[in-house]
Amino acid sequence: MSERLLNEIRATKPAAPPALRERVRALGELEPARAPFLSRFEWRRLFLVVPVAAMAAVVAAGVIGVTRDDVVKGGGDEMAASGGVVTTETFKTEAASPEASRGFSAPPTADSAVVPPVPGQLQRFEAELRLRVDDVEALSSATKRAQRIALQHGGGVASLQYDAPAEGVGAAQITLRVPTARVQSAMVQLSQLGTIVGQRYGIEDLQVQADTLQSQIEAAQRQVAQLVARLESTTLPAEERVVLQSRLGAARQKLAGLREGLRGTNAEARTATIYLSLTTEEIPPAAEGGSRLDDVKDVLAWEGIALLYALIVGGPFLILGLLIWLGFRFSRKREETRLLEQN
Amino acid sequence: MTLPARRQSALAVSFAATAEEHLDDVYGYLVYLTRDRSLAEDLTADTFEKALRLWRRFDPARASARTWLCQIARTTALDWFRSEERRQQREKRAAPPEHVDAAFAEGLSPQIEAALAELSAGEREVIALRVLLDLNGEEAARVLGISPTAVSTRLSRALKKLEEKVSVNV
Repeated sequence: MSERLLNEIRATKPAAPPALRERVRALGELEPARAPFLSRFEWRRLFLVVPVAAMAAVVAAGVIGVTRDDVVKGGGDEMAASGGVVTTETFKTEAASPEASRGFSAPPTADSAVVPPVPGQLQRFEAELRLRVDDVEALSSATKRAQRIALQHGGGVASLQYDAPAEGVGAAQITLRVPTARVQSAMVQLSQLGTIVGQRYGIEDLQVQADTLQSQIEAAQRQVAQLVARLESTTLPAEERVVLQSRLGAARQKLAGLREGLRGTNAEARTATIYLSLTTEEIPPAAEGGSRLDDVKDVLAWEGIALLYALIVGGPFLILGLLIWLGFRFSRKREETRLLEQN
Repeated sequence: MTLPARRQSALAVSFAATAEEHLDDVYGYLVYLTRDRSLAEDLTADTFEKALRLWRRFDPARASARTWLCQIARTTALDWFRSEERRQQREKRAAPPEHVDAAFAEGLSPQIEAALAELSAGEREVIALRVLLDLNGEEAARVLGISPTAVSTRLSRALKKLEEKVSVNV
């Protein structure tokens, strides 16, 4: 291609006529109005926005998964305050403070988790405490100290199983009974015997049961009094006297049973049961973190399943849409080429 | 200059200034594309009207103002070709549309004028973009919606054909 030809084309570039120039200038004087949002919105930006939104959803789900346990714990405390049946579980590894693991009177780690029984109200209190100790010697020492703690609190040992082999994992299961009024203090001291692996406690309200028994006792006492008064009458026929004496015997028997039941309920409310498990088994150091990581993994797995499901269901439609779009684009290109060839 | 800085400085330039700067480019491109100067005038005005409406969406980080205006001009011209074709089919006219003002530019030799007129619109537009407007390969490719390699191939074929036609006309 000769350079002369190209230069001539360049040199003779068409210039816009003055009328057209004026027309375009008049356009330029108009201030461009802000276009509505939808006309300004570029759908291609969705390719940026959607991954960011998906990432935010994943992070949010992860955060919810991680913080879920805390929400449950809070609910348990509220139930305890209302006096209903409460069962709180915290079976997770909790790193006790070094002072606590050495048995010093450091702030107890179990203290905040234990909801104390309400004074003046009859409640059945049961607690389970799992502790890890360093070795078999510590296991023996902790077992003895647990018994002493129960005694010091006015209670005792209901049962004890102790297993300390020369090699392997040593363990002890001790069932302690201590006065309910002093259970919180006992739990605090017991939790200092080792590293808390888990703890669970439950409170059941016995006041309603005791009140019902009390009212039944009073009714039975009234019945006995009435029967005794009628039997004291001298004009009572012999046949009726026999019947009334029989009723009196039954009423007294019932009264004795009710009194026994009330005594049992009171005794149950007075004494709390603590199931203490001691073990020398090593706990993985990242158990708590792992648990939270597992929660996040679970959430991510569910999200992955949902995404896969959406892809399986929506995939064919996406492919069809893509093919239609490509076909439309191809035919448009062909039409443009034809138009440019014809003109 | 960074992209955000380029965008800010480009947005600072008014539409009027941009239109003034690139009016001849757009008009020249449309003259070559349509072979009709009066039609090119109308299409140029339409192009700038559209550009005014779309000015807020113009992103200088993606293309220069000249490239963007040429894209709009091309779409406007193709729309006109389509509507003209439909009109002709409706009126059952077999003959091609009449061009009342077929001169490409003042001062262009009659041989080149005639040779250009014999080229297709597709061939003329690639010459207009690469030679007349002096767009680089990537800019021209963006306007035409093809790859820079395809632009290069199309240009070389168009110029070869033009040269042949010029030599025949001489």
